[in-house]
Amino acid sequence: MLDLDDELMQRYQKGDEGAFTLLVRRHQQPLINFIARFINDRDNAEDLAQETFIRMFKAAHRYEPGRAHFKTWMYHIAKNLCKNEIRNRERRDKYRVDNVVNSGSDNNGDTEEIDLIANAPANPTFQPEVELERKELRNAIQKAIAELPEQYRLPLVLRDLQGLSYDEISEVLELRSGTTKSRINRARLMLKDKLKPFI
Amino acid sequence: MNCLQAEEHFSAHFEDTLDYQTLHGFEVHLAACEACQQEYAKFQESVKVVQQLPQIEPSPYFMPTLLQRIAEEQREIGGVKGIATAGWQRLLDVFRRPVWAFSGVLALILAVTGTYLYQDGFLFDRDTGSAAITSESQEVRVVAPPVRARRVLGNNGQRLPDGGTSTPVQPMQQHYVLKQVSYTNASTRGGL
Ligand SMILES: [Zn+2]
Repeated sequence: MLDLDDELMQRYQKGDEGAFTLLVRRHQQPLINFIARFINDRDNAEDLAQETFIRMFKAAHRYEPGRAHFKTWMYHIAKNLCKNEIRNRERRDKYRVDNVVNSGSDNNGDTEEIDLIANAPANPTFQPEVELERKELRNAIQKAIAELPEQYRLPLVLRDLQGLSYDEISEVLELRSGTTKSRINRARLMLKDKLKPFI
Repeated sequence: MNCLQAEEHFSAHFEDTLDYQTLHGFEVHLAACEACQQEYAKFQESVKVVQQLPQIEPSPYFMPTLLQRIAEEQREIGGVKGIATAGWQRLLDVFRRPVWAFSGVLALILAVTGTYLYQDGFLFDRDTGSAAITSESQEVRVVAPPVRARRVLGNNGQRLPDGGTSTPVQPMQQHYVLKQVSYTNASTRGGL
């Protein structure tokens, strides 16, 4: 029995071009969220999400409905793109830091991470103080997630923000089930310690 | 169960996936350990606030831009197919022109006739091994192995640049040489 994603992929493979668009519509938001939380950058998240869908589109004819899972395939591609992005960013940052050190100037804060992804949808019952408090908490959570080592951040985001099952996470990350479980527990324990001042 | 072991089971307890024995051990430890009670309370709270983080909405440009990129990819894929189709189409168009069509038919007739005459032994006397087509082909000599045939075309018994000495053509070799000659000529005419 094929799930809806697989059925849509099968339809696309048979020439129904609208089926792929429907798949994108179904998964665009979770994918952008996953990438944004993982790389802590909303603007680049959309670019990487687009790249993920383009890669899936190009490889769609090789997809075997029923054998693979669309969702885990999507996160797997996105995860690899994110890792590349993080590596490139680290290289850029290192270059920038090296330049600052070499030129002898001090850091005026330009390199500080700007949190752009904590913007929540508008609250209909808007109360400035409450909203400020919530925003602070969201910023703190996002910062705490961003500070987790990658090997803990990835499974945590997939579990607690994307709602994937442990089996799905193991598939995306190519980890054994026990490793996935212990990494998620460890990540949650780290977050608990980081968020203590806020909860 | 000690505190560290209890901590290992926080997630499984929170998600209610502990087996009976572990659950019992966890509950007994927690009931007796205030530190773990507090830590577990904070753990649950922090997992909940993380899970309740609001979803980010895609920008209004996301979908149109992506659909445009997909359309471009599709055009590219279609373009490659189109080029291949156009190539065959052009080839077929050439043979639709009367002059080329006539040349094609003529070449076919010549090829069929040539094959027929060859098989009939008219052009090549297989009993004696002598070629009867032209004086040029009679002069063809070859040094084994036959791969070198094209390099050693020349006068009978001539000393060759690669140090080999030409020998009279044997019947089987002559067959090969004839093929080589026609191949060489055809290739040269092709504009090499
Ligand atoms: Zn304890």
